[in-house]
Amino acid sequence: MSTNRRDFLKLLGTAGVVSLAGPAPSLWSSALGAEAAKGERVLVLIQMAGGNDGLNTVIPFGDDAYLKARPALAIGKGAALKLNDTLGLHPAMSGFRDLWEASRLAIVQGVGYPKPDRSHFRSMDIWQAAHFSERIPTGWVGRMLDQTVAQTGMAWEAACIGQDKLPLSCLGERVVPPTIQRLEEFRLTSAGRETALVSTAAWKQAVSSSESGSELDFLRRSATSAVTSAERLASLSKTYRSATPYPSSRLAQQLQLVAQMITADLPARVYFVTLDGFDTHSQQLPGHAVLLGELSSAVSAFFADLDEKGRGDSVMLTTFSEFGRRLAENGSLGTDHGAASVLFTVTPAGKGGLYGTAPSLTDLDDGDPKFTTDFRRVYATLLDRWLQRPSQPVLGEAFAPLDFA
Amino acid sequence: MITFDTSAAAHLLRRLQFGVNPEEIDRAVREGLDATLDRLFTPQPETAEFTASQAALRDAAVATASIQDLKAWWLHRMAGTANPVTEKVTLFWHNHFATSYNKVLSVPMMTAQNDLFRTLGSGSFRQLLTTVARDPAMLVWLDGNANRKRHPNENFAREVMELFALGLGNYTERDIQEAARAFSGWHLREGRFWFNDSQHDSSDKTVFGKTGKFDGQAIINLCLDHPACPRFLAFKLLRTFVVTEPSPAWIDRVAALFTKHDLTFAPVLKEVCRSPEFYGSDVRGTIIKSPVELVLGTLRPLCERIRWPAVRDLSAQLGQDVFAPPSVKGWDGGRQWIHATAWIQRWNFLSDVTGSERYGSLRSEVREAIAQQPHDWVTALFATPLSDTTREVLTKAVPSDRLSLSLSLPEYQLM
Repeated sequence: MSTNRRDFLKLLGTAGVVSLAGPAPSLWSSALGAEAAKGERVLVLIQMAGGNDGLNTVIPFGDDAYLKARPALAIGKGAALKLNDTLGLHPAMSGFRDLWEASRLAIVQGVGYPKPDRSHFRSMDIWQAAHFSERIPTGWVGRMLDQTVAQTGMAWEAACIGQDKLPLSCLGERVVPPTIQRLEEFRLTSAGRETALVSTAAWKQAVSSSESGSELDFLRRSATSAVTSAERLASLSKTYRSATPYPSSRLAQQLQLVAQMITADLPARVYFVTLDGFDTHSQQLPGHAVLLGELSSAVSAFFADLDEKGRGDSVMLTTFSEFGRRLAENGSLGTDHGAASVLFTVTPAGKGGLYGTAPSLTDLDDGDPKFTTDFRRVYATLLDRWLQRPSQPVLGEAFAPLDFA
Repeated sequence: MITFDTSAAAHLLRRLQFGVNPEEIDRAVREGLDATLDRLFTPQPETAEFTASQAALRDAAVATASIQDLKAWWLHRMAGTANPVTEKVTLFWHNHFATSYNKVLSVPMMTAQNDLFRTLGSGSFRQLLTTVARDPAMLVWLDGNANRKRHPNENFAREVMELFALGLGNYTERDIQEAARAFSGWHLREGRFWFNDSQHDSSDKTVFGKTGKFDGQAIINLCLDHPACPRFLAFKLLRTFVVTEPSPAWIDRVAALFTKHDLTFAPVLKEVCRSPEFYGSDVRGTIIKSPVELVLGTLRPLCERIRWPAVRDLSAQLGQDVFAPPSVKGWDGGRQWIHATAWIQRWNFLSDVTGSERYGSLRSEVREAIAQQPHDWVTALFATPLSDTTREVLTKAVPSDRLSLSLSLPEYQLM
């Protein structure tokens, strides 16, 4: 048993497992005692918020239509980090190029959905819900967690790191995953008293009653989850050591916290982090390079850290964004909202490579490349093949998995 | 038939001001619903103390061009004013036309926009939207300046339909592209709106099936006359002031009120607050408090000598940084406010209210009243009935713990 795990179980022993009458949340409370949690497969999702310009990320420098449509923004053959004779990565993504050379970077091309919506909010909801109805109460990860506990009794959990709100993806009907901005902010203060009030038996008794479906019920469930998480995580930071240097970027710091939690065998099976700023309507080149550099260096440090701890093989990481950008650049040295785009998966099993078909840049839908791979096929792959949870009940219909997992 | 008892009065006041105390509840019950509404919707004189302190805070913020000071000024204003409905309506429009200093980068522009919401927000939406479309902060925020004849920028045209006047599903991508051309040349010069004729596309546009040589104002008028507009405003009003998921039938009724009042805001809000549905048990205590509601609604009734810079930082940390909404969509609100970190931060704040001087000093009479006569305060603190278990826990608690225990309950997060 690792030191981390021993410390963690010790912590459990002192904090105790919260038990509540009624349909209490299982979040962070069960599965902790099970040794089987060690080394279980974990999925990390990175949301590239704002609509990432896929064409300047995985660059079709061999395609004249790309070069013509983007006289100011095109990145040419000389600058791109070559993947093959016609495609290259953005020059800021050397970390991803290394993962590609190690056959750990899967690139899925032309990902999107039918009748693309170019509203950030609507399209992000579609991606996170994996559903097209207007009022979408749950996300795809949340539904998976709901179904897993209902069908198998396994209290799988998710954790959202660095979020200022709970992402729709992770919201289930029963499950309200914790969001942890920074570990140091995730501490209960007691303002003069011995223990925080919410850690007392009286408080726990007061929140124990429940009526299903109401806002109050939601508040009680999420409050209990928060208290339990805070009690579990209280001494986590003392138990973690890493020899791998992380960049100072926000994303890197968040991924380091994810690595910390994975190493401590917390019961979360899905982690969700966000990198914001991809809405590059104007002066795109410098800002986009910074963002892609941040993504690439943070992910690369994250896997180096996990590899060092022998956990790299049990973690898969996938990026997504609400849409790509238009093929043609606009008049402000930027690009406007588009449709299909690329996404990345870091796969531990040496299944790197190109998946899906790159969309034609001459046969466009209202100025945008048409999607060739439904995004729900990516989710089906992550669910069926990686987490080994059936995707059909989560997605509402069957989608053929891809072969990166 | 509305029974305007202490619980109903507390509900009304919680929705129209920031928090409530037992004296305010008693006064409202004594005066009755109509007189209370008339008072809340009629300008009341400000105290000399408030007028002086708010002017000092504002002048300092503008003089030093400090957005942080401006945030503190507004929070102080919301809590201290004798006209809370005006500030609630101002906050409503700030969330509706959500504009962030983080892109605008001008304190005078953000101040002017805030004044605009305060001056015009209770009146005609026609005038408000027309003015906002030319508001300098908005022109920077949604790239009006980058919208040129040969390179139309769709940012404002999209949001005026999606987020400001109509809502999703009431227009096409084509409508947005055409409308963007109508707004071309709506630029800024020396910090003011400037119609740049040379960059305006004066050719034909087709929007909502109508064709003409539309300019920006014509598009705004088309939006204002669109049947989706009153419905959209009705939805936003209900969602903010009444209930998170309003029924389609209720939205239709309030949309009809907007049509009746020619899109004038305050009279519609007042009529909604006068309707029996507003007092239904499916409305009371169903809204999760926003950070501003939680923080000001706690400090105003309970504390004195409030430390505004700390309050400003706290509100931002809790997820509602005024003058800096996360996107043009504003704050999502509802359940989106609540997540594990938010709980920890909310509890830490509430624990500081009773156990430290970090955000202000607990009024001594409040501390005593709650220890001695908790009953009066239960109606003020809780918008939802307490379960028997919870009542028992509160009764059993030592008197000095009752307030802090009350504030830590999930029930306290509802209004």
